[in-house]
Amino acid sequence: MRRAPFVLLLLSAATAALAQPGSQRPATSPPPTASAAAGRCGVCHPSERVQFERSTHAQEEVRCVSCHGGDDRSLAQAVAHGAGFLGRPRRDDVPRLCSSCHSDEGKMRAYNLPVDQYALYQTSGHGRRLAKGDMQVAVCSDCHGAHDILPRSDPASRVFPLNIPRTCGRCHGGNASAAGRRGKPDDHREYLSSVHAHELFDRGNPRAPTCVSCHGVHGAAPPTVGDVDKVCGHCHTAERRYFTAGPHREGMIAAGLPECVSCHGHHDTSATQPQRLASLCATCHGGKSKQVTLGAKMWTEYQAAATQIEQAAALIERADAVPIQTDDYRARLEEARTYLREALPAAHAVHEETVTGLTTRARSVGAEVASEIYGNLGHLQSRKLVLVVFWFYVLLTVVVLRRFQSRAARKD
Amino acid sequence: MSDAPRVGGTPGGGDASGGGAGPGPRGDWVAWLERRLNLTETFSFLTHFGLVWTPVDTSRPVREVVREVASQPVPAYARWPRVLGLLAAILFGLEVVTGVLLAYYYRPTPEAAFESTRTIVRDLPFGWFIHQLHGWGAWLLVIVVAARLLRLFWDGLYRAPREVLWWSAVAMAWLVLQSDFTGRLLTWDSRSYWAAVRGMEVVFALPVVGPLLAFLLGGRVINDDVLIRFYALHMLVLPAGFAFFLYLTFATLRRVGLSPEAPMHRGAATTLRDHLYSMLILSVLLFGVLTTLAVLAPFRFQAAADPYSTPTGVRPPWYMLAPYAVIENGPGPSWLLGLLLLAVAFAVLLLPLWAPRAAGGRALGRMRLWGLCALAAWTALSVLGAFMERR
Repeated sequence: MRRAPFVLLLLSAATAALAQPGSQRPATSPPPTASAAAGRCGVCHPSERVQFERSTHAQEEVRCVSCHGGDDRSLAQAVAHGAGFLGRPRRDDVPRLCSSCHSDEGKMRAYNLPVDQYALYQTSGHGRRLAKGDMQVAVCSDCHGAHDILPRSDPASRVFPLNIPRTCGRCHGGNASAAGRRGKPDDHREYLSSVHAHELFDRGNPRAPTCVSCHGVHGAAPPTVGDVDKVCGHCHTAERRYFTAGPHREGMIAAGLPECVSCHGHHDTSATQPQRLASLCATCHGGKSKQVTLGAKMWTEYQAAATQIEQAAALIERADAVPIQTDDYRARLEEARTYLREALPAAHAVHEETVTGLTTRARSVGAEVASEIYGNLGHLQSRKLVLVVFWFYVLLTVVVLRRFQSRAARKD
Repeated sequence: MSDAPRVGGTPGGGDASGGGAGPGPRGDWVAWLERRLNLTETFSFLTHFGLVWTPVDTSRPVREVVREVASQPVPAYARWPRVLGLLAAILFGLEVVTGVLLAYYYRPTPEAAFESTRTIVRDLPFGWFIHQLHGWGAWLLVIVVAARLLRLFWDGLYRAPREVLWWSAVAMAWLVLQSDFTGRLLTWDSRSYWAAVRGMEVVFALPVVGPLLAFLLGGRVINDDVLIRFYALHMLVLPAGFAFFLYLTFATLRRVGLSPEAPMHRGAATTLRDHLYSMLILSVLLFGVLTTLAVLAPFRFQAAADPYSTPTGVRPPWYMLAPYAVIENGPGPSWLLGLLLLAVAFAVLLLPLWAPRAAGGRALGRMRLWGLCALAAWTALSVLGAFMERR
């Protein structure tokens, strides 16, 4: 009872502070001391309340006491922090605490959310190290936030696709202060220079791969030798098909070399560079080996086909300026481009006939289109020959008319 | 029963006096037609239009009248090099014929304009030829009309009593430029579209005229409304106006003649028949030149217009480069520059009112000097407009 005046004073001061213009809430609607989501906790914990009320939890039936325990109807600390009060959960308790709801199919079914995150987490690098007592590894709240949890689809969420590299980079990036983190400090920066990041950030494609696309989400763990091609093959299906058909996979696994990334780089994967066919083989194989020769040959074949297609495309532009009907040529050139595009995944089989079969087809279609357009343009040249005949008749007509004219003049 | 009396009668019907034999042994269709139609009256339409100088007695037979008219003396000056007006009339006829042929396939909407033009040029037999003839004909027509204006100025044919001749010539030049400008837009390719946009920027910058035109076109944006209005202007209004001023030119020529220095019957006069032959030869040669241009220097086909991407270096058509340079880079506010341009245009139109009336050689010489200076200034501004950067 002695505390009651103090609490009332605090209450009125908090109300006045919140009601002032310039404070976080608009002055016209002073907040009630008790809200549905936060109860009366927000009276003493205003910043947590503000964060929590923006979260997706606050809109569902989750309340402060769901995680922290206690009694949110009381302003008396002894009562509020009384029976069943948990306080701030320990880090190693967080996954279990979240899973108390999120592993409950009965609760999650209505939201159509999966319930396997906790099980997955326990298999992840994070989960296994946490089990060993490493309190520095990421728990649920490190990636999802504690009070301000937002759905994955919300651009402000830490786990929105465009925000994932930054979220992971808080620990795994170059600025991560704590020692003992897995991965090189440059991984985050290298990813930012990759074609994947370019697709994600510069072209705004939310389906572009982020950290979790290759490392897993709740079960995050780096792919091991023998798994890398499966991970990359999620998206690069054709490349993987040719790659597994070729000799490289077995050989690389035997040598302990990770597939795909040994040639394409780990995090700084660049866009397609066909010219590397000519140079990259020599990094593992000897400078004069037959493998290096094969690589150079594939590059030459590819180049020849690409040049032929470019030439045909330039001719189509010329024909359009006349104009000549080119829709058919465009369609066929697109077919040639498809063959050429297929030649690059096919190069992963490092098998000569597989690649040259495609490049030769691309080249022959391109050459066919080019020669047909040349024929049509040459056909136009014949108009100039007709012009000579035309002028003969024009001059003949003029001569005849002059004759008539002079005869008429004589008559007059 | 009713046919019975006709069996033995004359086949052509017995009502015509002395002409019952129908077409004679030489196929005298003129006589046959003349019994049914007053050919002389029809022929007199030409005299009314101005091609023939003398009035025609419509009660006389047509052969006689034509023979007489064909032997009429024609002033010697109606020959080379004073042939520009005639060339303009022939080219106008060619533009009408080719334009009608193009109109059979052309569709004036932004979606279809480019496609239908491409169909004409690419897929129709000789469509490219008609299209190129129309384009090159327009080019020559602009040149001819401009040259004709210069020649009328040089010879002082704006002075009394030939003010109407001058006004007609100015109006015809203006109408031809308008036709050229509206016609350029119709293909709706990237170059034509952006040339029209730049050109309209100049026109919209003029005081009074600009806002009025924007009101009539429904805005300052080149869109589908402008396209269909340009189309209507190009194929209905402007050709009708040109035909009217052509008629006015002939009409005033019959009254005042073309040249004070060479009156009707002085010098080596020829006959009208001779003159018509020359005209025919000229037409044939013109057709030859146009065909050669169409084959050897065809207009390149551009990509479809895209209002959201401006190609580099687009400028208004060449005849608008001088006003474009003034509006874009001239000193002072644009309304003042627009006012200046309008003043110049009105000065040209109203030349007969302020030019010295005296027919003396000195006054004419002074005017020629002024004209040369104006032409030099105009050329310089055009060159400036062709190479300057936009502000």
